[in-house]
Amino acid sequence: MDLVSNLALGFATAASPANLLFCLIGVLLGTLIGVLPGIGATATIAMLLPITFQLEPVSSLIMLAGIYYGAQYGGSTTAILINMPGESSSAVTAIDGYQMARKGRAGAALSIAALGSFFAGTVSTFLVAIFAIPLTALALQFGAAEYFSLMIVGLVSSIALAHGSIVKALAMVSLGLLLGLVGTDIYTGTPRFTLGIREYADGLNFVAVAVGVFGVAEILRNLEGEKTRSVLMAKVSGLWPTRDDFRRMVAPVLRGTAIGSALGILPGGGAILAAFASYTVEKRMSATPQEFGKGAIAGVAGPESANNAGAQTSFIPLLTLGIPANPVMALMVGAMIIQGIVPGPNVAVEQPALFWGIIASMWIGNLMLVVLNLPLIGLWVKLLTIPYYVLFPIIMAFCSIGVYSVNSNVYDLYAVAFFGLAGYLLVKLRCEPAPLLLGFVLGPLLEENLRRAMILSRGDPTTFVTRPISAILLLIALAVLVVVFLPSVKAKREEVFQEED
Amino acid sequence: MKMSKLTRRMALSAGLSLLSLLAVNAPALADGFPERQVTLVVPFAAGGSTDVVARIIAQKMSEDLGQQVIVQNVAGAGGNLGADNVARADADGYTILMGTVATHALNPLILKSTPYDAEKDFAPISLLVVVPNVLVVNPALPAKNVEELLALLKGAPDQYSYASSGNGTPLHLSGELFKSMAGVEMVHIPYKGAGPALNDVIANQVPIMFDNLPSSSGHIKAGTLRALAVTTKERAASFPDVPTVAESGIPGYETYTWNALFAPAGTPPEVIARLNQSANTALKDPAVAERMKEFSATIVGSTPEELGAHVKAEIAKWTPVVRDAKVQMD
Amino acid sequence: MKSLAVDTTNALCGAIFIALGAFFAYQSFELELGTALRMGPGYFPFVLALILMLLGIVILIQSVRTDSGPLGPIALRGMLFILPAPIFFGLTVRGLGFAPALFFSALIAAFASTRMRPLMGIILAAAVTVFSVVVFSYALGLPFERFGPWVRF
Repeated sequence: MDLVSNLALGFATAASPANLLFCLIGVLLGTLIGVLPGIGATATIAMLLPITFQLEPVSSLIMLAGIYYGAQYGGSTTAILINMPGESSSAVTAIDGYQMARKGRAGAALSIAALGSFFAGTVSTFLVAIFAIPLTALALQFGAAEYFSLMIVGLVSSIALAHGSIVKALAMVSLGLLLGLVGTDIYTGTPRFTLGIREYADGLNFVAVAVGVFGVAEILRNLEGEKTRSVLMAKVSGLWPTRDDFRRMVAPVLRGTAIGSALGILPGGGAILAAFASYTVEKRMSATPQEFGKGAIAGVAGPESANNAGAQTSFIPLLTLGIPANPVMALMVGAMIIQGIVPGPNVAVEQPALFWGIIASMWIGNLMLVVLNLPLIGLWVKLLTIPYYVLFPIIMAFCSIGVYSVNSNVYDLYAVAFFGLAGYLLVKLRCEPAPLLLGFVLGPLLEENLRRAMILSRGDPTTFVTRPISAILLLIALAVLVVVFLPSVKAKREEVFQEED
Repeated sequence: MKMSKLTRRMALSAGLSLLSLLAVNAPALADGFPERQVTLVVPFAAGGSTDVVARIIAQKMSEDLGQQVIVQNVAGAGGNLGADNVARADADGYTILMGTVATHALNPLILKSTPYDAEKDFAPISLLVVVPNVLVVNPALPAKNVEELLALLKGAPDQYSYASSGNGTPLHLSGELFKSMAGVEMVHIPYKGAGPALNDVIANQVPIMFDNLPSSSGHIKAGTLRALAVTTKERAASFPDVPTVAESGIPGYETYTWNALFAPAGTPPEVIARLNQSANTALKDPAVAERMKEFSATIVGSTPEELGAHVKAEIAKWTPVVRDAKVQMD
Repeated sequence: MKSLAVDTTNALCGAIFIALGAFFAYQSFELELGTALRMGPGYFPFVLALILMLLGIVILIQSVRTDSGPLGPIALRGMLFILPAPIFFGLTVRGLGFAPALFFSALIAAFASTRMRPLMGIILAAAVTVFSVVVFSYALGLPFERFGPWVRF
C-alpha cells in the first residue's frame, strides 16, 4: 500500500505541467547531444548545472535525469547509423546495429533499439520503485573480491564478442586491458605508460578511444575504395521491423532487461558490463550464432534493452545512498548539493516528493522518448542518403568538439587521431575493436579490485573462493568457459580448413 | 566579442605550444575589467565539493562583475593539470583558478617534480572557504569514540584498514598524520574518489575512513556512518556534538581542506583588487552563506596578502607531515 | 587446405601484438613489480604484456597454416586528411578560438575525399562552424572562447 501511495505522490509530482516540461526539455536535449557524435551527457549536464540554480530541486533533477537517459537513446542512434558509439554501453549496439544499417535495415534497427529500450526502461523503473532499498543492501555485499570475480565473468564472456578468431579476440582484450591501465597507479601514484605526458595522468579518455577505434577507423575504411566503387549502404528497405523481426526480438529484450537491471545496480561499470553480457548470452542462445556481427536482430535488441535497464537501475545507489555510480550521477549529486539537499540514505524519507518524483519521471521520460524517437527514425534514415563525403567532415567536426568538451584536454584530441589510426590498422589486420573496448573498460577495475582484495586479505588469495558471492561468480566464469569452448572445439574440428570467415 | 584595447601579437608562426601565449601580456585597466566572460578553472571533476563551491561562488560573482563567470572543469593529475593551465594563461584576470590545499600545498610537496611553483606562478586573490575533514567508521566497528578506536588499533596492529579518496589527497594525509601522531598502525586503501570509498565503508568492506565532512554528512545524519571526530581545531557548526580529534587524545592534530581563488602571477593589482572585492561580496551574500552552511563549509574570505601568507603557512605545516608519511610520487 | 603460403595479414598481426606486448613488458619492468601477494604498479601490466606476447606468437604460428587473402587497399589519402583534423583542432582551439579552429578542422577533413570540390568544402566547413557555434557555444554554453587571443585585436 505504501508503494501505491508513494508512486501516486511521485506521479503527481512528475506530472505537474512544469515538471513535464522540464522532463521534455531534458529528453530533447539528451537526444540531441546523444545523436551528435562524440559529445556526451557528462559535458552537457556540467554545462547546464548553473541553469538549475533557478529551478525547483525536483524540476532540475528531473531535467538532468532526462538528459542522461535521452543521451542513452540518442547514443545508440549514432552507433547504428555511423558506427560511432557516444556512450560506452552503445559500443555493443554498434557491432550488429551498424551491420543492419549497411544492409539497408537502419530503420528496423533503430525501431528495435527504441522499443527494446522502452520496454526495459519501464520494467526497470518499476524495479527501482519496488526494490530500490533491498537491492541496495545486495549491492553493498559486493566488495573488492566480488568485483574482481565479476570482472572475470565479464572477460570470459568477451570471447563471445569475437566473430572471427578467438585468439585474436583474446589478444585484443589483453591490449585493451593494458591500454586501460595507462595513467596513474592509484595505489602508489606512479605514472604508467604515459610516455611522460602529464595530460594522460588520469588515463586515456574513453570517448577518445571509442570514437577513434570505432568511428574514425570506419570513416577511413569507407574512404579506401572510393575511386572504384560508390561508397557504402544498400538501399533502405522498409523503415519498420517486420512481424518476423518482432518475433525474434521478444526473448532477447526480456533477457536483456533482466541482465541490465541486475548489473546496473552495481556502482562502477555495471551498466557497461550489462550490454556486453547480454550480447554474449544472445549469441550463445541463438540458433544462428553465425549471424552475429553481420546484423543479427538479437544482437541489437538484447544489449540495447540491457543498457537502458542498467541506466535506470544505476540510479539506485544514487537515490538510496547518495553515492554516484558514474560521472553523470556524480554531477547529479553536485546538483543536489547546490540545491541544498544533502544526498544520503535519508533523501527518500526527508524528500519523498523528490525521490518518488524522479522515479516517476523516469518512466514518463522513457515514454516521451519512444514517442519522440519513433517518428524521427524516418528522418535519421534520410541522413544516410546524404553523400558520405559530406557526412564525414561533419562527423569529424562534432567528434572534435565532443571529445574536447569532456575535460578541455587537447591531448584527448591527439588520442582520437592515434586510436583512429590504430583502429584502422587493426581492422585491416582483421581484428575487431569491441573486445579491445571491453578490455579498456575492465582493465583498471580488474586491477584495482584485485589489488584491493589482496591488501584487504593481507595477501591471502583464497579470499576469492572463501567469500561466497565471489566463489559463485568464479564458478559462473568457469561454466561460461566450458560452454564457450565445448561447441567451438567441435566446430573447429569441422571447419579446420576454413578458419576465419 | 569586444576588441581588446591593446593589439596582441598574432602568434601565427609554427607556434606548436601554447607557451607562446605567455609572451605578451597586455595590462588591462581595472576600470574596464571585466569586459568579457571570466573563466574560472576548477581543477577537479564536475560534481565534486570543489566544483560545487566554485559554481555557487561563480554564480554570485557573475552578478557582481556584470559579466559571466564560467566554470570550466580541467580535471587530472590530482588538480595539477588545471592549476598548470592557469599558471600559464594570460595574466589578465580572465582566467582564474579555484585552488585548494591539494594544488597549492600538498601536490608541490608530494610530487618529485611539479609543473608550477605554488607561490611564484600565482597571484593570490582571496581565500574562500574552509571545509573540515571527518573521521568516520562503520557503525559495526566497536569504537564509539577516538579513544576506543586507538585502543582497538593498538590491540591489533595492522589488522585494520582505512579508506581515502586517493593517494596523496588531503584525506590520505589526514590519515597518515593521525597514524604518526597517535602512534598506531592502519593500512591505507586508496580509492578513485570519495564515492566508491564511502560505498565500501558503508558496506563495512573497510571499517574506517577519513572524508570531507560535506560528502559524509548525509550518512552521519542517517546513521549509516558513525562520526568519531572532526579534524579541525574547533567543532564544526553543522555537527556541534561531534568532538575534534585534538580534544580526543591527540592534541595539536588539525587538518582541513580549503578553497581559494588564484590568478596567474603578473596579473595587474587593480584586476586582483576587483576580483577580490567581487569574491568577498559573493561570500557575504545570505544565500551563499546558507548554502555553505548546509554544505558544512566555513566561509572565511581574505585579502590577497592574507591568502599569500596562508599558502606559505600551509606549505610549512605540511612539509614535515609529507616527509614523515613518506608519501612521494613521480 | 588452400595453400601452405604464409598468411601475411595474420603474420603481421601476430608480429604487431608481440611488439606491443614487448613494449608494455619493457615499460612495466621499469616499474616496481612487487610480488603476487603485494603487487607493485608493474605486476599486473607485466603479466598482461606477457599474455599478449604469447597470443601474438600463437597468431604468428597459425598464420603459416592458411592464407585468407591480402590486406586490400589502404586509405592513404583518408589518413592524410582525416587524422590531422582533430590534431589541428587540439593545437589551435585555445589560440585561434573555437570557431576558426573548428572551421579549419572541418575543412581539412573534407579533403579526405577525392569527390570534394574546394568551394563545396569551404561552404560545408562554414555551415558546420555556424551550426556548432550556435548550438554548442550559445545554446549549450560550452566554456570555449569563440575567438582566441591569436585573432583578437
